[in-house]
Amino acid sequence: MEGMFYNVNFGFIEGIVRGYRNTLLTGQNYNNLTQCETIDDVKLQLGPAYGDFLSALPPNPSTSALADKTTEKLVSEFRYLQANAVGSLSKFMEYLTYGYMIDNVALLITGTLHERDTRELLERCHPLGTFETMPVLCVATNIEELYNSVLIETPLAPYFKGSLSHHDLDELNIEIIRNTLYKNYLEDFYQWVNNHPDMAGTPTAEVMSEVLEFEADRRSINITLNSFGTELSKAERQKLYPSFGKLYPEGTLMLSRADDLEGVRIVVDMVSDYKSFFDQAGLSQGGGGGVGNMSGGTGQETKSLEDMFYQKEMEISKMAFTHQFTHAVVYAWVKLREQEIRNITWIAECIAQNQKERIGNYISVF
Amino acid sequence: MSGAEAREAVFPTRQVLGQMKSKLKGAQTGHDLLKRKSEALTKRFREITRRIDEAKRKMGRVMQIAAFSLAEVTYAVGSGALTYQIQESAKSAKFRVRTKQENVSGVMLPAFEAFQTEGGSDFQLTGLGKGGQQVARCRETYARAVETLVELASLQTAFVILDEVIKVVNRRVNAIEHVIIPRTENTIKYINSELDELDREEFYRLKKVSGKKERDAAAAEVEREAKKSNAQGDFESQMEDEESKDLLADEGEEDVIF
Repeated sequence: MEGMFYNVNFGFIEGIVRGYRNTLLTGQNYNNLTQCETIDDVKLQLGPAYGDFLSALPPNPSTSALADKTTEKLVSEFRYLQANAVGSLSKFMEYLTYGYMIDNVALLITGTLHERDTRELLERCHPLGTFETMPVLCVATNIEELYNSVLIETPLAPYFKGSLSHHDLDELNIEIIRNTLYKNYLEDFYQWVNNHPDMAGTPTAEVMSEVLEFEADRRSINITLNSFGTELSKAERQKLYPSFGKLYPEGTLMLSRADDLEGVRIVVDMVSDYKSFFDQAGLSQGGGGGVGNMSGGTGQETKSLEDMFYQKEMEISKMAFTHQFTHAVVYAWVKLREQEIRNITWIAECIAQNQKERIGNYISVF
Repeated sequence: MSGAEAREAVFPTRQVLGQMKSKLKGAQTGHDLLKRKSEALTKRFREITRRIDEAKRKMGRVMQIAAFSLAEVTYAVGSGALTYQIQESAKSAKFRVRTKQENVSGVMLPAFEAFQTEGGSDFQLTGLGKGGQQVARCRETYARAVETLVELASLQTAFVILDEVIKVVNRRVNAIEHVIIPRTENTIKYINSELDELDREEFYRLKKVSGKKERDAAAAEVEREAKKSNAQGDFESQMEDEESKDLLADEGEEDVIF
C-alpha cells in the first residue's frame, strides 16, 4: 500500500537513479582497468562511463585530478537529482549532504583556528558538502565569532547546539568535534527516517535504518580501535558513540571500557556479521596481530577490517536497489559511486606507482 | 724534467747546504705522511661511495612504499582534505636531526643523527572515524623514509667534504713529489757543484802560490849565488840584476791578472 502513491512524487527520481546505477562500473570494467599500463589507458577505459568529464584532462593526468573529475560527475548528477527532488526526498538528499558538510566545516574550523586564509580552503571542501552560507564561514576571524554568528546559520547548527560550546571549539581536538557532529548527525538522520510520516514504516525506513545502524556501529568500532594508544580518554570516547545501532547500548558500553583489541573482539562477538569480519581480518586469534595488522598492510593477503566494512557497506547499498519505492536508492547510489571513485583512484595509483601486486584491492559488487 | 733547471735562489754556502738538506728530509717525511693520509681518506671515500649507493637504492624502495601508503590513506579516508588537516594540526617537529663530528685522519666529517622526540604525534586523532590506522601507518612509513634521507644526507655531506679534502691532499702530495723535492735536490746539487768549484779554485790558488814561492826561493838562490860570484865582475853582475828585476815585475803582473 505504501508504494501506491510513491511514483506520483518520487517516481522520476527513482527511475533516474536506477539508470545511474546501471552505469556503475562492473567487475568486467574493473578487470579491464587493472590490465592498463598507463593512466592514459585508464582514462580511455573510463571513456564510456565518464566521457565528457575526463575529456578536459591533460594526457597522463595525476591520480588526484582523475579523482576530482570523477567526483565532479557524481556531484553534477547529484545536483540534477536534487533540483528535481520534492518533499521528503528533497529533505532526504539534504540529509545526505550533511555528512560532507561536517567535513567541510571541520576543515574551515581548522583553518580559522590556525588563522589561515580560509578562502583558499573553500576550494578544498567537498563539493557535495557546500551550502549557501559556507563562504560566510570565511568571514569569521576568531572562534567565538565563528560560533556565535556563523555556525548558527548553517544547517549543522542543531548538531552543535547542546553538545559543543564555543569554548570546546577552542580547546577540543578538531577530530573530536568532527566525530561529535557526526554522531549527532547520524542520530538525527536515524530519528528522521523513522519518524517522518512519509517514511515511517516504509521500505525507506527499513533500508535506511539498516544502513545507518551499520554506519553507527562501524564508527563506534573504528573510533575504539583508533583511540588505543592516544590521549583520548574512555569517557570522551563514549560520548562519540552514536546511540543506536546493533551494538547499542550494551555493545557501546563495553566498547567504551575496552582497553585493547581483545575487548573489542568480545563486543563484536555479539553481532555475527562483525564477528566474521574480525575473523577474516585475522584479528581474533588472541589479538596476536595487534592494531597495526588491520591496516591496508603491505603485502598482506588478508583484507583489512576497513576493507570489510567497505565491502559490507557496498553490499547493503546493492541490496537497497532490490527495494522499490524508497528514497534509500539515492543514498545507496551515492555510496556506490563514492566507492567507485575510490576504486578508480586506487587502481590509478597502483598503476602510477607501479605496484601492480595490490591492484586487486578494490571493491566491486556488480 | 722541467724542474731540472729550477733551483732556489740561494747563496751556495755550507750553511745553506745544511738547511737544504734538512728541508729535503722534511719534504720526504711530509710526503710520506701525506701520502698515507690520502690513502686513508681514499679508503674512507670508497666506503662512503658504496654506502651512498646502498642508501640511494634503499631510499628508492622506501620512498615508493611511503608514497604507496599515502595512496592507501587516500583510499581509506576518501577525501583530499585530510592532508590539510594533518598539516595544520602538526605543531612541533617530532622527527629531529642532531649533528656530531667524526674525525677521519684529521678531517672533521659531520654526521647527522635522526631521533624522534618523546610523546605521541600531534595528529594522532586524525581519521578517528575512519582511516586512523592507515594514517598512523603512513606516518611510520614516512618516518622511516625520512630516516633514510637523513642517513643519505649525512653520507652525501661527508662525500663532498672528503672529495674536497682528498683533492687538496693529493695536490700537496704531488706538489711535494714533483716540485719541492726535485727543486731542493737541484739546489743541493748546485750548492755542491759550486762548493766543489770553490774547492778547486782554492786548490789551484794554493798551487799557484806555492809555485811562486818556489820560484821566489829559486830567484833568491840565484841572487845569493850571484852575490857570491860578485867578485867575478861588476858589469856582469849589474846586467844580471836588471834582468832579475824585469823578471820580478812580470811575475807580479801575472799575479794581479790571476
